[in-house]
Parts: sequence; C-alpha cells; structure tokens
Amino acid sequence: MHSNLFISQTDARPMYLQIVEQIRQRVAAGDWPPGQELPSIRALAADLRVSVITVKRAYLDLESEGVIVTRQGKGSFVADAQGLAKDMRLAQLDAHLAAAGEIARSLAMPEADLVERLRDALNQETTE
Amino acid sequence: MNPITRKLVAKELHLYRWLLVGGTAAGLAGLLSATTGEVGFNIGFIVWLTAVIALGVMLALFGVASERKERSQLFILSLPLSHRDYVRAKLLGLLTCFVLAWAVLSAGALALIAVMPGIPDGLLPYGVLLCIFLLMNFSVVLCGALHIASEAAMGGLIILTNMSVSLFMMGVGRIPGLGEHMQAPAPVWNTPFWLLVAALLAATALALALPLFIAARRRDIL
Amino acid sequence: MNAKVIEMTGVRKAFRFFTLEDVSLALEPGQIMGLVGPNGAGKSTTIRLLMGLLAPDAGSIRLLGHAMPEDQAVAKRDVGFVSDDMRLLQHASLAWHMDFIASIYPGWDAAYAATLLKRFGLHAGQVARSLSTGEQAKALLLLALARRPRLLVLDEPTSGLDPVARQELLTEFMDVLRDDSRSILFSSHNTLDVERISDRITFIDRGRVVAASDKEVFLERWRTLRLRVTGAAPAWQLPEIVHRDVDGSFVTLTVDGFSEEFLARLGAPVQEVHRMNLEDIFVATVMHSRQAQEARPS
Repeated sequence: MHSNLFISQTDARPMYLQIVEQIRQRVAAGDWPPGQELPSIRALAADLRVSVITVKRAYLDLESEGVIVTRQGKGSFVADAQGLAKDMRLAQLDAHLAAAGEIARSLAMPEADLVERLRDALNQETTE
Repeated sequence: MNPITRKLVAKELHLYRWLLVGGTAAGLAGLLSATTGEVGFNIGFIVWLTAVIALGVMLALFGVASERKERSQLFILSLPLSHRDYVRAKLLGLLTCFVLAWAVLSAGALALIAVMPGIPDGLLPYGVLLCIFLLMNFSVVLCGALHIASEAAMGGLIILTNMSVSLFMMGVGRIPGLGEHMQAPAPVWNTPFWLLVAALLAATALALALPLFIAARRRDIL
Repeated sequence: MNAKVIEMTGVRKAFRFFTLEDVSLALEPGQIMGLVGPNGAGKSTTIRLLMGLLAPDAGSIRLLGHAMPEDQAVAKRDVGFVSDDMRLLQHASLAWHMDFIASIYPGWDAAYAATLLKRFGLHAGQVARSLSTGEQAKALLLLALARRPRLLVLDEPTSGLDPVARQELLTEFMDVLRDDSRSILFSSHNTLDVERISDRITFIDRGRVVAASDKEVFLERWRTLRLRVTGAAPAWQLPEIVHRDVDGSFVTLTVDGFSEEFLARLGAPVQEVHRMNLEDIFVATVMHSRQAQEARPS
C-alpha cells in the first residue's frame, strides 16, 4: 500500500508536503477507503527512507485537514471520507472559481462571457 | 581475566600463528645445524639467536605499531573494553605468543648443551642467562612499542636492544664467578649466577608492568 | 524509557592547534541525528569524545546513561561504532571478523548478517587486505548493523561508498529506526542524505556547535526572499536577516526565522519567497557564525 508513495528530493516542494498530497490524492480517489489503517509513522518513514519527523508532520497536517484520524495507541486511519472528500473537492472548486472570478474582473469581462466559458469547459470535460 | 581480554589474547595467537611456527622452525633448524660440528655450531647459534630476537621484534612491531598505523586499533577500541583492558590484552597476548616460541627454543638450546658431548655443560648457566636476557629484551621492546608512537624512536630502541644482546654475550664471560666456569664439564650454579637471574627477571617484570601503569592510564587513547 | 541516549554538556577539549569549545548535544531514543560540519570542524573529535577514546578537559558526557570515558567498557556493549578511518584487521578474513564479533555480542543476528553480506556484495572468505576501501567500509558497517545495537555512532559512514551502496545503507539505517528504542548519530558531509533521513541536525564549525534543531524547524525557519526596491535598499535592522545581497534594484535576503509577522515588519513587497535546502542553510549558518565570531572582541 505505502510502497506506491514516491518522494523526490529534487522536487521543489518539501518532502512532508509531497507525502500529504499523495495521501490526499489516494483518499480522494478512493484507493485508500475510509477506515483503512495507515502505516505506522515509523514503518512509512522506513519504507520511504525519510525521517520519522517528516512523516509525523505529514500525518499531523492530514489530521488537521480531517483526512485522517489518529486514535491514541491504535494508529492512524483514513477518516470517514463520505462527506470529507466531497468537502475537499468543493473547497478546491471554490478556490478555482474565485481565481477565475479574479481574472475575469481584471479583464473587465462581463458575467455572461464568463458563464459561457464555464459552459464550454464543462462540455469539453464530458466529451473526454 | 574478562572474556573480552581472553578473546583478544586468542586473536593475537591466531593472527600470529604462522609467524610463531616459522620463527620456531628457523630456531630449531639452527639448533639442528649446531649439532654438525664447529662451523655448524657457529652458524646454528647465529640462526637460533636471530630467530628469537627477530620473532620478538616482529611481534612487538606488527602487534602494536602496525595495528595502530593500519587503523585496526580503532576497530578493537570500538569493542566493549576500556583502555586498560586493551593494554592488558595486548601485553598478555603478545607475551604469550613470544613465550610459546621462546620456551621451545630455550628448552631446545639447553637440551642441546646438556646432550651434545662436544659442548661443555659448564655453558648451561650461560645458556640460561642468555635465554632470560632474550626474554627481558622482548619485554623492553614490547614496553617501548606500547608507549612510543614515533617510528624513528622505535627503530632506535630496537637498535639499542640488539646491541645490548651482543654486549651481554661478551660481558657475561667477564663477570667473576661466571666466566671461568663456562668451559667446565659440569654446570656451576653459584651466587653470581642467581643474582644475575634475579636481576634479569626483575627487569623483565618491570618492563611488563610499566605499561599497566603508564600506557593503560592514558586518558586519551588516540 | 525517557532517558537520553546521548548527553554531552559543555564539553571542552583542547589540542595544540584546535579547541573544541562548549559542545552540547542530546539525542532522544528513536531519533536519528545528523552532525554536519566542514572539514576540521570537530565532528570526529566530538564522536571520539563520545566513545570514550578521548577524555574531555571540561564538561560531561553520558552515553546510554553511562559516564564517559570511565564506563566505556559497559556503554560500548550496546553501541555500534564505525568511523571512516577505521579498518579491519588486515590479515584476517571477513568470516573471522564475523565469528569474532558474534562471540562477543549476544545480539548478533546471523541471518541478518548473511542478508547484508549478499546485499553489500561481499564474500565471507575474503581477507581484509584484499578488500577495496569501499568494501572495507561496507564490511565494518555490516559488523555493526548485524549486532542490532541500541545506538549506532557513525563517523562519515557513506564517504567511501558508491551511490548504490549509499542508498542501500540509508535503507538499512531507516530499517534500524523501525524500532523506536534504537537511535543513530551520524556525521556527514552529504547534506542531501542528512536532510532526507535526519530527525535532528547539529551544525558544527571551528570547534563550536553553531546550531542544533529538529530538521523540520530548520527547513521552516529559513527562506530566501527576493525583493525589488526603488532607490537605495533600506537598511533593515531585523535580526532575522542573516545575509543581504544587493544587485542593482534587486535585493536577496537570507532569513532565519521567517514568518508572516516577519514579512509585516519588513514592510517591503516581496517578489519571491524560496525555501532553502539544508546545504544552503548550512553554508549560510556557518558564514553568519564566522562573521559573528570575528566581530567579537577577543
């Protein structure tokens, strides 16, 4: 399970962030289903050959985002992601829309044009 | 003796087994040659003497200085032992190695003197003294190796001790009470003899004890 | 078990041309600490003091709770020490060394030793003298690892190794730490490896500890900032600024202690904020420390 995570030191992003993102992706995609136990911090650190402290940090971040829950003495588990993955995705969507709105405003684009472009984008997605 | 010391002594014996076998064989060959007449005796004596001295020098040099130079010392020091244990083990290990060969060669030499009809038994006390002197010689060289780091100084010490062997051999014959009985048909064990034996043994003991008080007490091993 | 695995406090050791001054170091169980410093900084001296091979002029050293150098015989039972200038007994074979170590340490794992032998590409029958430098290094590490000691103290463990062997070694190190009661202290020039696997990092330069922190703290505190200024660059008197580089209207600041609050105090608009890798953090720390030392009235 964990051996699929890949940490690159040449990647500009810090290692703990790479771990966070990759775990987040797998949870969101459903590869790591809710309730599944995560590898222990030490085991994952040893498998990825990164320091324990890096994995610890990644797990803490994931927990504060609500992606995982840590039960004292038992380990870390993928949180009940029913509403969670969706919440994360909605948050992502809102962020993208806000950015789009920002750009539209800076171009002084009328609302109708923006909606048109959004419709085009949606149509493109469905034909793929 | 704690188990580590025992293992290190065994290690010295294992590591230098071929040196000991070779040195002892050379010395025995010398003794054999000494049975074949006067020329053979002279050659054989030199071979025997060289074997004993060279063995001692090589044990001291390889056993201590080389280990230090080759950084194998660090490997031994990483073991669960104190500096005192290390010095003790070195001392005991190398001494054991030397004594094994020395005992065989000394017994052989003394037996040769006693058994060969052409060699007066009056030489026996001289032989005993020489053997003990060679033991003392080794102890001094070993003591030096454990304290001296400089190769030049060690070289100097070895030259000095070698010279002292020649001086001893020439000098003993002049000691009143010893020299005149050397050619006698029967060995003379008199007071001058025993005094000299005691002095040599005391010097040996001192040379072997010194590292335990100086080298072993050093707080910086390296 | 909360007792520290390594505890050096205010250690001082003077040599003719070099002095180790006020060195303090602490390692918790289950941690791996990287000791980083330029050549001659005092890394090897620190490690030898730790192992009881040198006695400090001042300060205290405790290894696995034992006072050093007095109790080194007991302490070393649970410590695997390998140094890059250490060699095997040249006339003996690797098999002899393995038997020797196995007979001394009850924790010897013969199966693991056999695995490592294969993994490192070594043959037990080889005489030490015939091994290359890299192979001797791997052999020494094998002898230390197969004992499964509670603490590994390694002085430049990867310096003689090819990249493949280095990776294998790092894998073994991290394997050691699967057990949270085992710890590692290693000194290295290779900041990339140190950055990857260390929990704690200590920087040493010219006989002094220049910085010591959790690795993530280092990586979070340090940033380089690029700003564009109009006119002369303001003389920011902020203590976090370790270095400034002015190139026309572009200013690059090296910052130790970056935060949103710092940006507010800076006041100027920042074009780019870059994280720094450990190598750059290390160089900046050492340069800053040396400047501070030179500025100090003697």
